[in-house]
Amino acid sequence: MLSRLFTGYCLIVYAFLLAPIFVVVAASFNAGNFLTFPPQGLSLRWYVVFFENEVFMRAIRTSLWVAALTACISTVIGTAAAIYAVRHAGRMKDTVRVAMLAPLLLPEVLTAIALLFFFYAVGMGTRTMAGMVIGHVVITLPFVFMNVVASLESFDPALDLAARSLGAGRYARFRRIMLPLIKPGVIGGALFAFIISFDTFTISFLLKGIGTSTLPIQLFDYLRTNFTPEAAAVSSVSIAMTIAVVVVIEKVLGLRIHRF
Amino acid sequence: MTEVRISHLTKSFGAGPVVDALSLTIGHGEFVSLLGPSGCGKTTTLRMIAGFEDADSGVIAFDGSDVSRVPAEKRDIGMVFQNYALFPHMTVAQNLAFGLEMRKIPAAEIRTRIARVLDMVQLGTMTERYPSQLSGGQQQRVALARAIVIEPRILLLDEPLANLDAKLREEMRVFIRDIQRRVGITTVYVTHDQAEALSMSDRVVVMFGGRIAQTGAPADIYDRPATRQVAGFVGQVNVIEGVVETASGEGGHVRLPFGTIEAPRIGAATPGARVALALRPEAVSLVPPAGAGWQGRVVSRHYGGNLVDYRVAMADGTVIHAQTFPTTQFEPGAEVGVHADAARLWPLGD
Repeated sequence: MLSRLFTGYCLIVYAFLLAPIFVVVAASFNAGNFLTFPPQGLSLRWYVVFFENEVFMRAIRTSLWVAALTACISTVIGTAAAIYAVRHAGRMKDTVRVAMLAPLLLPEVLTAIALLFFFYAVGMGTRTMAGMVIGHVVITLPFVFMNVVASLESFDPALDLAARSLGAGRYARFRRIMLPLIKPGVIGGALFAFIISFDTFTISFLLKGIGTSTLPIQLFDYLRTNFTPEAAAVSSVSIAMTIAVVVVIEKVLGLRIHRF
Repeated sequence: MTEVRISHLTKSFGAGPVVDALSLTIGHGEFVSLLGPSGCGKTTTLRMIAGFEDADSGVIAFDGSDVSRVPAEKRDIGMVFQNYALFPHMTVAQNLAFGLEMRKIPAAEIRTRIARVLDMVQLGTMTERYPSQLSGGQQQRVALARAIVIEPRILLLDEPLANLDAKLREEMRVFIRDIQRRVGITTVYVTHDQAEALSMSDRVVVMFGGRIAQTGAPADIYDRPATRQVAGFVGQVNVIEGVVETASGEGGHVRLPFGTIEAPRIGAATPGARVALALRPEAVSLVPPAGAGWQGRVVSRHYGGNLVDYRVAMADGTVIHAQTFPTTQFEPGAEVGVHADAARLWPLGD
């Protein structure tokens, strides 16, 4: 009885989470001229409009580039920070941890304004994509850090000693022993960084360079003057891309390491 | 084979020294156990030999050359860890190959060496298994194989049998010692289990509080313990105290609170001085009460299969621990004659 209640409860939660996605995807197949639900007739016409829209296509390319760069940089820095915090920080461990998670505690808009002032103060401004990527790295770092810390906590330090006793230097120990064992955390962190960067609005809005609008910004711009199902098509493609990235990375790199 | 010479090795963590000016030489191919309670410094000593900890002062030399500043990965040691520390993402063969790959050994030779060592530990068919697919005993043997396949100068074992069940533990004692003899490797074995230390070692080093309390062959440690602490830690013991009445040669006549005994050795004690004598429980036998000799009353009896454990209260209240074969048994409460094998009495220092 209790387990049936629990199953029902889970279903309600899932419905709550997934219903908006369902509505958006359904609305994108609308044949009519306005963003309505339920859709009026079935058609792919708004997808065609979207894929022929040069502005949206450029925004998607920008978004993918920024997300990929952010994921790479964030993963390297976040992994290094996590290894330091867990293995080498000693009594400083909690301090390092709080410092690394600080970006989560600040409202994103404050982080963005602070970075904006900083970029102008150092003369970098926001003419290029660099500022936005740095901003994305700042907000995604805690996610990489937390993921890698979690997998490092279950890494047995004796394995490192065993590898040392067998003659392995620092690099060989990292490459052959630690990295394969914390891989799920590293990849999980990279996925978070990619998805958060791909979806984030506030940071991008304030830090975007000239002609470097990401998809969420372009969509926001579009919705200010239009209300066609093209917006739903954009969202659906964005959702599909996010899912595709997760699936591809899972298949190629594997989120599991042990056979058992 | 390598000789390990440790001199005045000291290491502190915060408060007092964990290892305190320890000096010890381990001969070529010798099997030495470091035995002591937890916190006695035995594991820290082993970790310093391995190079995982730096000594505060003192020297560790392999065959005369100081390795104190050589990092662990260059010391050429094989180590077996208490939890085995097998690489979970590698098969048995990959675990064994790791150390050989680090030494840039050609692939063909790696294969033959792995096959030979796995044969030795009787795991020849397990090469493609992952550690999680092996039993505890098998993992233990893989860990041993991984440590010896690199043909290290010294083999270090840190409580390797602590996680195995009792029966397997006894089999592995014989197994490890057998392999160590065949390979002929200098071995340091850390344990808190006196039975392991006694049954496996050429020499046992008993440690308390970071210092060596006694070093000697297993029989020396057991039959001729240097101090009360050693006697009490290595096996069970009755410490009986008395006053020397007369001395003759090495021995003397000792008056105890519940009788007298002719001790063949009284150490440095002179007539009139107090002496503490170690008497192992299996050197005490119980007989039906007779007029002469020590008398006591059985307080408790514990049947242990091969031996029966008695506590016997003597006339003055002293409790003597006796272990006898179960052929004749006495009920709790029974009056008994207590007979001590005087040849097994050993005077203890402080």
